[in-house]
Amino acid sequence: MPPPLPPSSTLHTILLVTKSRSLGPRLVFHYPPASPSAASLAANTPAAWYGTATSTSDDTDSTSSDWDSSTEDGAGDDEEVGSRASGSGRAGGSRSVHSHRTRLTAGGFRALEGFDEDDDGLGDDMNGDSSRKGNGIGREGKAGGRAEWETVLGFKMDALEKMLTPGKSFNKRRFELGVEGIVFVGAPMFVREDGGWKKGRRYGNKDMRTKLGQDAVDKANDSKGYDQDEGVDLDEPDSEKFVYPEGFEPGYGHGLMSGAASGAVSEAGSDTRSQSTNGSTPDMTMFNIVFVLNPPALEYQLRVKEMYDNVVRKYAKALKYEQAKFDYVWKESKKIMAMKTRAVENGDPMSLAWHKIIASSPLAKSIATIYDSISNDKIAHVHLDATFDTSFQIPQAVSTPYIPTAMEPQMPGLWLTTANIVNEDEPDLNFTQHYALLLLEDIETLVKELEGDAKDNAIAFYIRSVTPTKSLHKLSIAHSIPSQDIQYIAGHLVYWRRARLIPPLHQRDTYIVSPNADMRALKQAVSAYATRFSALPSLPEMLHKLSGPPRPYAHHIPSPDHRQVYMDILAWLMRGGWVTQLRTFAWVRVPAEIKAQVAAIMEREASMKKAAEMEATRHNEDNDSIASVGDSVLSGGETGHVKKSSLLSGNWPATPLRRSPHSEETEAMDASTILSPRLQPYRSPARPSSDAGSTSSRITTVPATSNAPVATSPQSQNHPHRPSPLHFNAAIRELSPSSSRPSAPPSIVSPTMAGPFSPSQETAVESASSKFEPSLILSPQKANEIEARWLEQICASFRDPDLREMWPTLLKYFDGKHALDDVALREGLKRKRIGALIGMIREGGWLLTVRHW
Amino acid sequence: MPTRMIKSIFFTRFHPEKGSRVLHQVPEGSITPSASPSALKQPLFHFPSVSDYIIPRQEFCDRLVTTCTNRYRVVGYPVCIKGEGKYYRNEFIFNFALVLDEDAADWGSYASVVRKLGRLLRALEEQGGFLSREEDLRMFEDDEDDGLSWKELGQTESQTDDDDEREDRHFNTWRSEPSGSGGKVYALCEMILEDLNNYCECMIPIVDDSNTINLKLFPTHLPPAPIFAWHVPLLTIDLSSFSSTTISSDLTLTRILPYIDGTRSVSHLSQLADTDLSLTRKAVQHLVYYGCVILLDIFHFNAIYAPTAEIYDFITDQSLQEECARYVRIPHISLAHGARDERKTLAARNVLAEDGGNEAAAVDADRYRVPKEHLVKLYTSLKQGLTLRNWVLENFELLTCVDVRRFITFGVIKGFLYRVHKYAIATSSSGVAGFEEEKRREVLMKPLEGEGRAYGSDASRELPLARYLDGLHSFDEICTELRMNERDVLERVKGFGEVQIIHR
Repeated sequence: MPPPLPPSSTLHTILLVTKSRSLGPRLVFHYPPASPSAASLAANTPAAWYGTATSTSDDTDSTSSDWDSSTEDGAGDDEEVGSRASGSGRAGGSRSVHSHRTRLTAGGFRALEGFDEDDDGLGDDMNGDSSRKGNGIGREGKAGGRAEWETVLGFKMDALEKMLTPGKSFNKRRFELGVEGIVFVGAPMFVREDGGWKKGRRYGNKDMRTKLGQDAVDKANDSKGYDQDEGVDLDEPDSEKFVYPEGFEPGYGHGLMSGAASGAVSEAGSDTRSQSTNGSTPDMTMFNIVFVLNPPALEYQLRVKEMYDNVVRKYAKALKYEQAKFDYVWKESKKIMAMKTRAVENGDPMSLAWHKIIASSPLAKSIATIYDSISNDKIAHVHLDATFDTSFQIPQAVSTPYIPTAMEPQMPGLWLTTANIVNEDEPDLNFTQHYALLLLEDIETLVKELEGDAKDNAIAFYIRSVTPTKSLHKLSIAHSIPSQDIQYIAGHLVYWRRARLIPPLHQRDTYIVSPNADMRALKQAVSAYATRFSALPSLPEMLHKLSGPPRPYAHHIPSPDHRQVYMDILAWLMRGGWVTQLRTFAWVRVPAEIKAQVAAIMEREASMKKAAEMEATRHNEDNDSIASVGDSVLSGGETGHVKKSSLLSGNWPATPLRRSPHSEETEAMDASTILSPRLQPYRSPARPSSDAGSTSSRITTVPATSNAPVATSPQSQNHPHRPSPLHFNAAIRELSPSSSRPSAPPSIVSPTMAGPFSPSQETAVESASSKFEPSLILSPQKANEIEARWLEQICASFRDPDLREMWPTLLKYFDGKHALDDVALREGLKRKRIGALIGMIREGGWLLTVRHW
Repeated sequence: MPTRMIKSIFFTRFHPEKGSRVLHQVPEGSITPSASPSALKQPLFHFPSVSDYIIPRQEFCDRLVTTCTNRYRVVGYPVCIKGEGKYYRNEFIFNFALVLDEDAADWGSYASVVRKLGRLLRALEEQGGFLSREEDLRMFEDDEDDGLSWKELGQTESQTDDDDEREDRHFNTWRSEPSGSGGKVYALCEMILEDLNNYCECMIPIVDDSNTINLKLFPTHLPPAPIFAWHVPLLTIDLSSFSSTTISSDLTLTRILPYIDGTRSVSHLSQLADTDLSLTRKAVQHLVYYGCVILLDIFHFNAIYAPTAEIYDFITDQSLQEECARYVRIPHISLAHGARDERKTLAARNVLAEDGGNEAAAVDADRYRVPKEHLVKLYTSLKQGLTLRNWVLENFELLTCVDVRRFITFGVIKGFLYRVHKYAIATSSSGVAGFEEEKRREVLMKPLEGEGRAYGSDASRELPLARYLDGLHSFDEICTELRMNERDVLERVKGFGEVQIIHR
């Protein structure tokens, strides 16, 4: 999993281009009106946190003039802009690594900016061939007066218009045109052959033929395989990350795009037809909404894709829907063009004209809104007309499991945790219900936002009931809200950045200052905190308390009366990414004694088995017939010996711990590897256990580990007839059923049964234990046979009956991936009980624990 | 870099009357249908629908123009050469373009190749008509027959002042080369495709000149993070195998290289090597960019380290643990048997104890081996709020054969340990009026003045400690910049009023 990239919109300009029969290709509107200022370009560079969270660097460096200030963290925004503008010129000239960086971030645009500086940036970018030929792009951009009306982004209007109105083969496809460092990403929409903007049921029988024809064309296009999903029509649902229920689709708290759309379409059908197919030859034949980006080279694909998928395509579809319904785009375009013509005639400056256009045209306003929001990584909420509004955003990373390092700085303030990494091995679909919803805004603010919309009153009720200390599951019980509903709302709030799913906050959990906390925001946070929690320890004090040795949060709460407000503080800190939960992860540690005991038991079993087998050969005929039946059900084609054992251990596949995916491998490998573990004791008699007992490459050397203890024990060396490897496996399996049910009286494994050991045997076990090394069981769910035996032996050694009963339940969390803090929640058990049990296990030294986030 | 990234290379030339024509394509039929028997059955994409982007309007010429169609990315560099009297309508427009997969991650390196080629071909054409000379008019011929008229036109216009010999050569070229294949430009397409796809670089001599086309795909690296004075560089490759003069002509780099040992901070390096601090930082940044160096923190026993989520990988990866055991082991010196060194004795005793006391003649190699279990235990016992000093005291028994610095460094390098940095925040200062702060500054100024002077002439260095107390500056940074040890800084901070120390 790659570290999440910071949200960094590289949006530069939005253009609307139309092509009509009367006017040809026209660049109707672009926003912002002028080429972006140096300030907005600087804002695009994520340099502020790139490096360490420090602002003294400038001062540190101010002695040297050639340490380019543009890569440094500006003390203030103004300085930053200034230094970047002047710095980039220098950077362009020096062929250092560091100017490379400037180029990557801002360089792509310098030529287009038309700065009067010696920028060979573009040429230098890629191959260092500093030719100045490529830099003519934006020279005219600076010329004021009429020139500003004739060029956009430094290109002549007519040239751009032609380039951005591609042929029909781009219908509903991604249009991508790169010109040096910038890329034009568009979603061209074309009128249909029949003059309509939408295909669909509403066209009655007469149009059926055309429709079918068009469908065929569409299909043909799709079958070319290019972006299949772009072929979907308006009323097909968007493929979202979340599956939204009706009414919770994008369009946060407002009228909803697809929902409203699909509903309205059928009613509006006749409308549509009369409007857009009226004159049989509509004037506008296509429109293309084009977003101009300047992504850094390494993030090119990602940035372009996320912008296209989340904004460009959706916006274009929304416009197409409106166009189909009201001839919206063309009407608005004509209006905008007329206003522009008037402005040119009046000699108005562009900024004034743009102001007027945006004020009077909702289409222009929506473009401006999208630009302003998306380029600031916010959610764009647009009203296309009285009945239709919708929202766009580029989803952002919620959390990261990685900490920033000197080499790889990371966006600060991001929630640092592994809590919301879904384990691929066991997709737990319901895992969100164990999580609590942490609202990222105050409840009242959030409710107010929603109040405009009558039908979301239910949401307001839900939101008021949300608390970060209770899981969704508990919430749904407490307020008798259907759990599906509450999960939908959670998904909705999370998607629209109003909330975050976290493990429920609890006073007995441990929280630390997040290594990824954004200390730059501290100043504002301190005062915000002070107004919110007056007469309580200040924010720095709280952070100080939480940065000592890890302790449960309750430790910091002075009295039970303070509990609630301290939990509020915790939620507040969590929301700002100031703290993160320190979670405990564990593995089962198998001490040498257990290994020795198991080895001894298995040794005994083997000899018993040997005897039993001699017995069995006598009844061979009767058994075989039954055995084959059991075998065919249980385990395919295995050898005769195993057949017998599988009959004997008829229920072993049903027990969860027994499942050993390697059993067949084991069989196959036995013959080849059986000798190697045996040899080891002789090779280095001083420390035989180093090899035999090591857990290294457990999977491939299953037979080695399982056989070695038996083979190396003194008894087996004296054994007259060395049992074949298959016998060993058989023996192991034969025993498994009894031992895999810990509640059942363990016949051989229980400590009381250690009695039968003769004194000599017991000492043998003890001396043997020194030959084993303690090891870890990395994944109890996938434990192999010998590991399972160890686990059983450990379980048998517990005194506490409750613990013995719960051991198999707890076991699955001891894999280093599940936090022990979540066990109670997931199992729906009392926290105290689980805490006590785990405490007992830890005290017994059975666990290796480590804490991280 | 994945091989065979380039799906096709083609050369397009704009004909004033016939429009854009693909004159050469490798493989045949990849762009426009071809009659050649070896040609692809179907072109990769529909050329006419993107021809406007291959041969765009003049405004878009002489810059990189890419377009995406049918899941392919066409990277081109259209060139427009104006030659009065030289060309028909005084223009010669061509594009030498590559076709890649649309989602090719690092197509930037191909873009630079295309750009270079475009410029090179432009120069070659301007110098000697490299492209126009071997142009075969039949390439433009379809079913129409006015190609010849253009030929005549073109000839008369372009050759008016040329001598006959040149015209003959042109004529011969046209005759001798079959259309569509053969010829230098076609050969160029072929060689570039093969070499770049197979070797990521190519060197193609152009016969009639001394010119060579040298191309190489350079992977794009992330811009290096800024380097600060308190970073500790650690070399990841052995630069001593190069003779130090050949590594770089950067004098600073040459001077600091011998001092980089993974314990010295950048600031320390610049002192030892007597180099300018900012130049040193820059030099280290170069090393970071090329992946020769990784950055660590300043190691000391007051530092706090704690495991990150990646500790999971260490615990589950046996080979990593073995690597660690080799790395952290204190090198064995044979005087161990003499047991003069107390530490060694301890180590020996420890090992003996492990062996149950009965294996006195343990093999030397085993004696200094660090059990993996110990490593795991040690790493997991590091935690927030526990300084290394205290940790060492707590785990003294297990650490007998372990080089603590290497032990910590290993974890930091592999990313499963992180340094918990210490920050100071002056809580009162935010609410205090400005003048009071000024006063405090003055007070603090005095004791610091001396150090500031010695440090550098920069006035900003003499700023009081106050500027560090906003939670943005780790103690490593403060200590490095003020050249004080942590205890002194802490003491000064304490005299500063209400200050909270935060570890994160």
